[in-house]
Amino acid sequence: MSANTANLPTRLLAGLGAGTLLCIAALGWVFFVTPADENLGIVQKIFYFHVGTAFGMLLCLCAASAAALIDLMAPNDTIDAAGQACTEVGMVFALGVLTSGPLWARKSWGTWWTWEPRLTLTLLVLLIAIAVMVLRSMAAEAQTGRRIGNALAVLAAPVAYLIHIAVQKWGGTHPQVIQGGGIQSSDMRIAFWGSVLALLTLGFSLVALRMRGIRLEQRMAHLRLDLSALELQRARRGVSNDANAT
Amino acid sequence: MTMLRLTWLLLAKDVRIAARSREVLGFMLLFAMLCVVVFAFGFLREGQAAQDQVPGVLWVTLLFTGTVGLLRLFAPEEEAGNLDLVARTLSGTAPLFWSKAALQLLFSGIVTAFLLPIVAVFFDASLFGLEWIALALALGLIGQAALGTLAAALLAQVRLREALLPLVLYPLLAPLVLGGVKVTALALTRAPYSAFSGWIELMLAFDAVVVVLSPWLFARVTD
Repeated sequence: MSANTANLPTRLLAGLGAGTLLCIAALGWVFFVTPADENLGIVQKIFYFHVGTAFGMLLCLCAASAAALIDLMAPNDTIDAAGQACTEVGMVFALGVLTSGPLWARKSWGTWWTWEPRLTLTLLVLLIAIAVMVLRSMAAEAQTGRRIGNALAVLAAPVAYLIHIAVQKWGGTHPQVIQGGGIQSSDMRIAFWGSVLALLTLGFSLVALRMRGIRLEQRMAHLRLDLSALELQRARRGVSNDANAT
Repeated sequence: MTMLRLTWLLLAKDVRIAARSREVLGFMLLFAMLCVVVFAFGFLREGQAAQDQVPGVLWVTLLFTGTVGLLRLFAPEEEAGNLDLVARTLSGTAPLFWSKAALQLLFSGIVTAFLLPIVAVFFDASLFGLEWIALALALGLIGQAALGTLAAALLAQVRLREALLPLVLYPLLAPLVLGGVKVTALALTRAPYSAFSGWIELMLAFDAVVVVLSPWLFARVTD
């Protein structure tokens, strides 16, 4: 346990450093090497980060839902910490998607926001992730918050899939870049997959960092419980000693 | 005692409590009325309604009014402080879940029966004799009751629940509201069933998911 936790910061720092450097390198590649899109111009470059962020969001929130299910069936502090960390990082990614999406939409569709399927889905999923976190933090006891937050996160996964179908039937158009062959050169392909790799590395390190923070909080909570139990014991012993003395 | 019998007893108890105080249902009906009036302020132009406003008014009113009932769904148990005890029947937590969901469905069904003529008159729409709208309403209310009962149970143990219930409920209910609005709009224009069959199927799938998952999760949060 102690050897493991002692090693973690170095690995974490390495991961965070690698993620940051990869992101900078990907930015450099996107802006200095990759050509501008033939139809959309320079604004198309948002796409490299927009899609990577969306991948990160999907991965994190799916993992969070899976972790919630496992923790609900067989409570496990590590799994719970992973689930919480994934929810938080997934939320950050969702905010990234909802910032980069409208910037791109303004240029390519001429409007900041349309009720287009994937935008709508991202917005609703972000709201659900916020609901999970708020629900958890508003519970009177930490264990209650954990259970009800998990229950909501488990329900969110299949419902989000149905929301996905619903908004698709309801909404309009989204650029089909990967399927439609919108990537026009190998430079673009490298920029795309490089950005995805960079963002996922950064996301993974952020999850690990938050997980460590949450694990420490859990340990603090356990230690506090132990301490109050000890104090109670000592107080009882003190009372019985006083009784013996008189 | 079988599960059905226990469910029935719990439901009968809640109906008796509701019949004595008449608070919740009365307030839901009033709230539905108020919603329609406020929507009229927002949507009517020179006193004239456009047909395409009717589905939105109907479904959003039902969504809001359902929340009012859900906030008081577990009130008798909370006031007596015995939610944990009532939840532990011989058949587990299922009877409590189903009795509460049935109570919510009963209330929202009554509200809908009251709401339809009001919307029809105020917004000049002919909502009757349209079996597909009735089916969509039934699917919507069932899904809302099943998911809502779980949400109400989650929030029974939380501060600021009046503010939090919409945050939990509305994003998750999006498929039902979107589907309900679409089906109602298409059925009002007398479109053939094939025009909205996909939405009906989606609402059915949603109901199937929440009817299976909600009681299962309910057991895990009330134990």
